[in-house]
Amino acid sequence: MLEVLFIGLSLGSILLLVALGLAITYGAMGVINMAHGEMVMIGAYVTVLSGIWLGANIFVAIPLAFIVTALLGLLIERVVVRKLYGRLLDTLLATWGVAILIQQAVRLEFGLSFLGIHIQGLGPGLQNVSVPAMLQGTFAIGSQDINRYRTFIILVTALLALATWFIVYRTSIGTQVRAIIRNPKMAAACGIDVTRINALTFAFGSGLAGVAGVMMSGFKTVFPDMGTSMVVDGFLVVVMGGVGSLLGSVLSAGILGEINGFVAAATNDILARAVVFGVVILIIVLKPKGLFALKGR
Amino acid sequence: MSLQRRIDWGIYAVFIVLLMVAPLVMDPFWLNRVAKYLVYGMLGIAVALSWGYAGVLNLGQGLFFGAGAYMVAMSLKLASPTSLQQGSDRPVPDFMLWNAEPGAPTELCCINKGSFLWLPFQNQWFGVAMALIMPMAIAGIIGTIVFRKRIAGVFVSIITLALVLLVRLVVIDAQPVTNGFNGLTDLGWFKIAGFEFDPYVVPTYYLVAVSLSIVLVGARLLVETRAGIILQAVRDDENRARYLGFDVPNYQTFFLVVSAAIAGFAGMLYVIVSEFASPTFMDLSFSITMVVWAAVGGRASILGACIGAILINTISATVSETEGFAEAWKAIIGLIFVLVVLYLPRGLGGLAHDLVARVAARFSPAAARELRAANTSQLAE
Amino acid sequence: MVQVALTIDGLGVDFEGFKAVNNVSMTIEDGELRVLLGANGAGKTTLMDLISGKTKSTTGRVFLHDTEITNWEEHKIARAGIGRKFQIPSVFRDLTVRRNLEVASCKNPGVFANLRFGFGSQAKAEIDGVLELIGLTEEADQIAAYLSHGQTQWLELGLLITQNPKIILLDEPTAGMTQAETHKTSLIVNNLKGRHTIVVVEHDMAFVREIAERITVLHLGQVLAEGDVGEIENDPRVREAYLGSKGIG
Repeated sequence: MLEVLFIGLSLGSILLLVALGLAITYGAMGVINMAHGEMVMIGAYVTVLSGIWLGANIFVAIPLAFIVTALLGLLIERVVVRKLYGRLLDTLLATWGVAILIQQAVRLEFGLSFLGIHIQGLGPGLQNVSVPAMLQGTFAIGSQDINRYRTFIILVTALLALATWFIVYRTSIGTQVRAIIRNPKMAAACGIDVTRINALTFAFGSGLAGVAGVMMSGFKTVFPDMGTSMVVDGFLVVVMGGVGSLLGSVLSAGILGEINGFVAAATNDILARAVVFGVVILIIVLKPKGLFALKGR
Repeated sequence: MSLQRRIDWGIYAVFIVLLMVAPLVMDPFWLNRVAKYLVYGMLGIAVALSWGYAGVLNLGQGLFFGAGAYMVAMSLKLASPTSLQQGSDRPVPDFMLWNAEPGAPTELCCINKGSFLWLPFQNQWFGVAMALIMPMAIAGIIGTIVFRKRIAGVFVSIITLALVLLVRLVVIDAQPVTNGFNGLTDLGWFKIAGFEFDPYVVPTYYLVAVSLSIVLVGARLLVETRAGIILQAVRDDENRARYLGFDVPNYQTFFLVVSAAIAGFAGMLYVIVSEFASPTFMDLSFSITMVVWAAVGGRASILGACIGAILINTISATVSETEGFAEAWKAIIGLIFVLVVLYLPRGLGGLAHDLVARVAARFSPAAARELRAANTSQLAE
Repeated sequence: MVQVALTIDGLGVDFEGFKAVNNVSMTIEDGELRVLLGANGAGKTTLMDLISGKTKSTTGRVFLHDTEITNWEEHKIARAGIGRKFQIPSVFRDLTVRRNLEVASCKNPGVFANLRFGFGSQAKAEIDGVLELIGLTEEADQIAAYLSHGQTQWLELGLLITQNPKIILLDEPTAGMTQAETHKTSLIVNNLKGRHTIVVVEHDMAFVREIAERITVLHLGQVLAEGDVGEIENDPRVREAYLGSKGIG
């Protein structure tokens, strides 16, 4: 029972890892970034590459991945997303194209594979990351064996969620972001540089995805398509929680994680995922604004 | 008939003639391929209808396609020689036999708990009927619930997307009945009055080409009816339509059901030409890919979306013959898609429209004015 | 004997404790043109929302002639004979002006009843008449999105005229219009007088003087006064509520 609860918590924290960035970009900017999963993938590849070429471990990869994906996010915002503000479904479609581009860039080693140049760690194959010894195995609390890496994920997620909360609710940039969530035009009229804040927000959301990728690489195989299914899960979490509500995302990630954990324990992983989809559909139908929607007109 | 419509129908006619003469220049291998792409073209029509005309971006079109495919595949599976193994004269799908519990009866009724569902599919026409009824019923239920509750825009997209993924998982999980991940393979041939539609013969191509032509013209006529025009009005402003007295959810549901029927029909034809049905039909990427085709071809143009699908797939098959270029082509598709959304929101169809108007302007200013006026250029979001 | 077209009886709505419209009663006669006046937040638009079914009332009843239509679905109220124009003009932006009117001319709302081509020659003649009235004959084949703000307002009026409801609710039909446009709108509205029962929400007193017969003043969700233009302009309670303390003359 306790073990299932813990597994649910760790599944929930993985969901939240991916969803945090989306909660920011979708909630604050009204952008459905289908390339978010690819940011996660890039984060995972940063871990792989920094391991191979720099001999760096997962702890070094975290800030590195954040920087790389944030910069990539900045680029995507400037080139594509910026032209599409206010056209929600078009952002979904355009970023889907971006997602394919990023996937293929990794698969084709940025086109170098045509020249016969191959970079170890890239390409269409599967990659694995070895986790530092201190994160391997289990430790015991009472009679329970607790998986170290899962615990690590939960801790990192909690830290990121807190950091995000702090930035959004306790800094001046965060105040500007929240003003934009409520009313972008009014925010602009009040002297907020909406363009700049949007770019930063998008970069931050992408950076969070990069960190999520580092965490994923520790327990999942890394390959170019790995992000596709994650982005869907992430969106379901955000929509169910209520767009624009950070707390909503945290809670819905927790709820979905636990549902997933319990159903999986009772039946199998496939059905568990199906049930999660079912719950999300039901909630969107019953409460289209999400469980914890912003109040307002 | 206005100049606009005459040009439009002229292009339709040319397109259909091209479809009909294609077998003259193609070998059976290519004919089979192109038949598949024509099926994709039909999916493009389904997307254009719900997205371009109803303003409903359905990201779960694969659900309807998959439903149509599986329904017919079940019948064709039972018609396959592989289902008549072990000397039985009553068909039982081979995968059911392989996975049967020891001692279970080797009868379709009761080899496992769900196998009785297959019984009526022994009649091919039952499968065909279900290939249309099933998607329409699902669409009817979705539409009634979602549109009555006035769920709109991106939420409809997310619900349909989650739904197709949900069904995909259920199909995979129901392994004893559906053969799970592997899907239904080694299917028999579709038969009409004793004639067998071998996927690699010309009549099979014509089965698809004629079906596509009918769906194409039918869809175009449908959006020209009063109901079709009211639907576009609903797309532009739901509330305005409501206060003019239209029961908006009825219109949205009706056209979602039509779009689902087209997608289901496409799924059925796909199974006939490709001889398999698989859960990959309900992958997220396939459903979004259909939207890509429609967007590139022109989301608000039925023929545009159809040609978009055929064109992208034909080019993709051609370039993929070059070793190693297939992956690069995927990247190019991604790039094209980004560019289309950014700079050509009306797709190639819209572009063609403008070109026609410009050429017409050379010859007759009056005609050009007429064309420009009839040109729907703002797209509903 | 003049018939009553619209009866509102003790109508009210409660938004979580805030009573936007509170116990409003009034009767509007057949063929009458009634203006609703009131400061911002007086409940004029909410009252229209309640009549047209956009907002569900918590108390009271609405009758169209003898039929009670309280809290019916919007499209049923519309079919019963109440048409509505919104404050922010709403038309079918991607359809041509003529198509807009054709949609409004559909007498049968069902999907299956409309699975046929064309809108009929009778509708065409009717629409030509409406185009003339709203002054958009020239623009008949233009996409509605390309119309100017004033033209869009007139097109929406045209939709209502084509729909031909017994009662027309107009929510600030001159909002954002120039003086000349306002005048033209008053001509259109005056033209409808007698053929339709009309309820207008309006701030622009010049416009109100051009069209008004009877005026009802709402204040804080309740009826404050009712009378003709002169009575209302000289009513001290109205001056106090609408113009602030004593008014400005």
